[in-house]
Amino acid sequence: MEILAGLLNGFAVALEPANLFWCFVGVLLGTVVGILPGLGPPATIAMLLPLTFNMNPAGAIIMLAGIYYGAKYGGSTTSILMNVPGESASVVTCLDGYQMARKGRAGPALGIAAIASFVAGTVGVLGLMLVAPPIAKFALSFSSPEYFALMSLGLALVVLLAGRSIVKALLAALVGLWIASVGTDLFSSTSRFTFGQMELLSGIDFVVVAIGVFALAEVMVNMEAREETQLLPVPKGLRNLLPTLQDLKDCRFAFVNGSVIGFLVGALPGGGSTIASFLSYGLEKAVSPRREQFGTGVIEGVAAPEGANNSETGGALVPLLTLGIPGSGTTAILLAALVLWGFKPGPLFIPEHPALFWGLVASMYIGNVMLLILNLPLVPLFAQVLRMPVYLLYPLILGVSMVGVYSVSGSLFDLLLLMVFGLLGYLMRKLDYPSAPLILGLALGAGMERALRQSLMMSEGKLSILVSRPISAVMLSLAVLVLLIPMFGKLNAWRLRALEQG
Amino acid sequence: MEDGTRKSGDLWSGLALAALGFYIIIQASQWEYLGPDGPGAGFFPLWYGVVILGLSVLLIVSHLRRAHDRGNPTDWSRLGRALSTWFSLAVAVALFKPLGFVISFALLTYFIVAVMYRRPLATAALVAVATAAGFYLVFDLALSVPLPVGMLGF
Amino acid sequence: MTSRMSLIALAASLCAPLSFAQGFKPARTVDLVVHTGPGGGSDVLARAIAIMVEKEKLLPVRLQVINRPGGNGAVAAAHLAEKRGDPNTLGLFTGVWLQTPLVSAEAKVTLRDLTPIARLVLEPAVIAVKADAPYKTLADFIEAAKKNPGQLKQSGGSNTSRDNVVRQLLQKSTGTRWAYISFPGGGERIAALLGGHVNIMVIEPEEAGEHIRAGNMRVLAQVSEKRLAKFPQVPTLKEAGFDVPVVPQVRGVVAPPGIPKENVEFWQDFFLRLSRTPSWRKYIEDNQFEDGYQNAADLAKFYDEFTDRMREILKDAGVKTVR
Repeated sequence: MEILAGLLNGFAVALEPANLFWCFVGVLLGTVVGILPGLGPPATIAMLLPLTFNMNPAGAIIMLAGIYYGAKYGGSTTSILMNVPGESASVVTCLDGYQMARKGRAGPALGIAAIASFVAGTVGVLGLMLVAPPIAKFALSFSSPEYFALMSLGLALVVLLAGRSIVKALLAALVGLWIASVGTDLFSSTSRFTFGQMELLSGIDFVVVAIGVFALAEVMVNMEAREETQLLPVPKGLRNLLPTLQDLKDCRFAFVNGSVIGFLVGALPGGGSTIASFLSYGLEKAVSPRREQFGTGVIEGVAAPEGANNSETGGALVPLLTLGIPGSGTTAILLAALVLWGFKPGPLFIPEHPALFWGLVASMYIGNVMLLILNLPLVPLFAQVLRMPVYLLYPLILGVSMVGVYSVSGSLFDLLLLMVFGLLGYLMRKLDYPSAPLILGLALGAGMERALRQSLMMSEGKLSILVSRPISAVMLSLAVLVLLIPMFGKLNAWRLRALEQG
Repeated sequence: MEDGTRKSGDLWSGLALAALGFYIIIQASQWEYLGPDGPGAGFFPLWYGVVILGLSVLLIVSHLRRAHDRGNPTDWSRLGRALSTWFSLAVAVALFKPLGFVISFALLTYFIVAVMYRRPLATAALVAVATAAGFYLVFDLALSVPLPVGMLGF
Repeated sequence: MTSRMSLIALAASLCAPLSFAQGFKPARTVDLVVHTGPGGGSDVLARAIAIMVEKEKLLPVRLQVINRPGGNGAVAAAHLAEKRGDPNTLGLFTGVWLQTPLVSAEAKVTLRDLTPIARLVLEPAVIAVKADAPYKTLADFIEAAKKNPGQLKQSGGSNTSRDNVVRQLLQKSTGTRWAYISFPGGGERIAALLGGHVNIMVIEPEEAGEHIRAGNMRVLAQVSEKRLAKFPQVPTLKEAGFDVPVVPQVRGVVAPPGIPKENVEFWQDFFLRLSRTPSWRKYIEDNQFEDGYQNAADLAKFYDEFTDRMREILKDAGVKTVR
C-alpha cells in the first residue's frame, strides 16, 4: 500500500509538464550519446551539470537519469551495424548482433535490442521500487570471496565462447588477463608491464581493446577482397525490419535472464554492466537448446546482454539511493550531482525525500516507454546505413572507431593502442583464435585478481575462505559445472560412437 | 581454405605465446609473491604466466604430432590488402598531430576509395571531403566531442 | 556587508604592490586540467570552480574543465609540462600528483617541474568503524590490534593513499599492526565496512555524515588539527592520545613551466579572490573541507616538505620510492 501511494505521488511529480519535458530531453540525449561510441553518459552528465543548477532538482535528476538509462538503449546500435562497441556493456552485443546484421537481419537485431532494453529496463525499475532495501542488504553481504566466485563464473564462460579449439580460447582469455594487469598495482604501487610508458600506469582502457579487436579487425578482414560485394544485405519492407513473433518467442527466457542478472549484478558496488552482460549471455548460451549456433547471429544472444545492461541501471541505483554508495562512474557523478544540489544521498535519502525518489521511479517507467517509442522507428532508418557501398562504409567505421577511442581520454596514445589491438585482432582472426574470450579475460581480469587478493588478505592466507561461504561456494561450483559442459559433450559423442561400434 | 595458414600458424602463434608466458613469468618473479598482508603484485601474473606457457606448449606439441598436410598456401594478395589498410590507418593516426583529424581522415578515405577500391578520383575526392566534413559537423560542432587538432587549428 | 567591505579592502591592498601585474589578463578560454574522468573528485571540484567563476564574474573569459585521465595523474601533469609558457592553462592537482612520481619511474613530471600557483583546500578525514563494532574509542581499536596482531583489517584505496599513510603513522607510533586491504572505489570501501568484512576505515567526513546519521557508522577520531564544525564531540588524533603528524589531503592549482612572473601573480591573486567569495565558502562548508589557501611561494615550500615526509612514510611502509 505504501508503495502504491508512493508511486501515485511519484507519477504526480513525473507527469508535471516540466518534468515530462526534462524526461524526454534526458532520454533523447541519452539515445544520441549511446549511439556514438566513446562519448558516454558520465561525460554527458558532467557537461550538463552546470545547466541543472537553475532547475528544479526533481526535473534535474529525472533528466540526468534519463541520459543514464537512455544511453543503454543506443549503445547496441554501432555494435550491431558496425561491430564497433559503443560502450563496454555492448561488447557482448557484437557477438551475435553483428552476425545478424551480416545475414541481413540488422533490423530484427536492433528491434530486439530496443524491446529487450524496454522489458528489462522496466523490470529493473520494478526491482528498484519493490526490493531496494533487501537487495541493498544482500549487496553488502557480498564481499571479496563472492566477487572472486562471480568473476570465476564469468571466466568459466570462456569455454562457451570457444570456437573449435578450447586451448586457443583459454589462451586468448589468459592474454586478456595479462592485458588487464597492465598498470600500477593498486595494492603495492608496483608498475606492471608498462614498458616505461606513463600512459600505461593507469592501465589499458577496455573500450580501446574492444574496438581494435572487433571493429578494426573486422574492417581489415573485409577489405581483403577487392570485389566490392554488398556484404550486408538489407531486406526491403518494414516487416522484415522488425523482430517476428518467432523471434520474440525465442527471446522469452532471454528477457527474464537479462532482467534478473542485470538487476542483481548492477546492485553490487563492484559489479557493473559489462559483467552483467557477459554473465547473461553466458547463461543464455549455457541453457539454450541451440547452444552451438551462438555467435552466428542468434537473436536471444542480443536480447540477453542488452536486457542485462538496461536492468543494470535500476540495480545500480539501489546502492546509490538506499546507501549513498556509487558502484560505477555514472552513479558516482549522479551522486556528485545530488550533493551539489544540496541533498545528502545516504540511508536516509528515500525516507526524507520521498517525492524525489518516487518521482524518479515513476519517470523511469515513463522514460522507458518514451525510449521504446523513440527507438523502434529509428530501426529501419539505421538499417539503411548498411545499404551504403562498402568503400563508403569502411572509412566511416574506421572514423567512428577513432573518434570513439579518442573521446574516451583525448589522448593520441590510445589511438596507437587501437592500432596495436587492431593488428592483434586481425592476426587472431587469421590464426583462428576467438576474440570474445580475450575481451572477457580483460573485462574480468583486474576485478578477479583484486577479489582474490582481498579474499586472501581477509582470511590471512587461507584459501578455504573461497568455499566456506555459501554464495561463493555455489557460484564456484557453477563455474566448475560450466567448465565441464564441453566435457559432457565430448563424453556423449564418445558414448554414441562406442554404441555404434559396439 | 585457411587450413594451411592455420596449422603452421598454430606453431608460430604457439611459440609467440610461449615467449609471452616466459616473459610474464620472468617479470612476475621480480615482484613480491607473498607480502605481510597477503598475495603481492607477482602472485596472479606468475600463475597465469605459467598457465600460458603450459597451454602454448600443449598447442605446439599437438601441432607437431599432427600430420603435416599443407593446405592452401597463404593468399598474400589478400593479406597485403588487409595490411595496407592497417598501414594507411597508422599513417592517418601519425598525421593527427601535424594535420589534425579532419585532413588526415579525408586523406585516409581518399586512399581507401581511390586506391583500395579503384573508384574514379573525382568520386574519391568527393567522398573524402564529404565524410571528413560530416565528422567535423557531427562530432566537433554539434556534439562538442573534441577531435584531434593539428597545427592548423582544426 | 562586512565580507564585501573586507573584500574591497583586500583588493585594494593587493592592487597596491601588484599594480604592475595588471598587464596580464587571459585572452582566451582558460583550460583547467584535471587528472580524472568526469565524476571524479577533482573533476567535480573543477566544475564547481568553473560555475563559481561564472556566477561571481571573476574572469573576463570562460573557464573550462579539460579531462586528461590516465597514468594516475602523470598524463595530466605531462600535458601541463608540454604547455610550457602557456598562461591560459592551469592544472588542478591533488596528492596523487605528488605521490605518483615518487613511486612510478614512468611518471617523469613532478610538481616541482610545474609552476606552483596556489593551494586551495585541505580535506580532513575521520576514522570510522561500523556502529555495532566493539570499539568505542581509537584506543580500544589499537588495544584490540595489539592483542590480535595482523588480524584486524582496514579498507582503503591504493597503498600510497592517505588512508594507508594514517595507518602507517598509527602503527609506527603504537607498535601495532593490522592489515590494509585496497579497494579501487570509495563505494566498495564503505560497503566492505558496512558489510562487516573489514573493521575500520579512514573516510571523508562528508561521506561518513549520512551513515552516522542513519546509525550505521561510528567515528572514533578525526584526522585534522582542530575539531571539525560538524564533529564537535569527536577527538582529533592528538586529543585521542596519538601524537602523529596530520597528513592533509591537498588540492591546489599549478601552471605550466616557464610562465612569466606577472602571470603567476595574476593567478595566485585570482584564486585568493575566489577563495574569499561566498560561493566558495559555502562549497567548502558543505563538503567539510578546510580552507587551505596558500600563495605560490608557500605552496612550493609545502610541496618540498610534504614530499620529504611522504617519501619517509612510504619507505617505512615498505613501498619502493624512485625519486
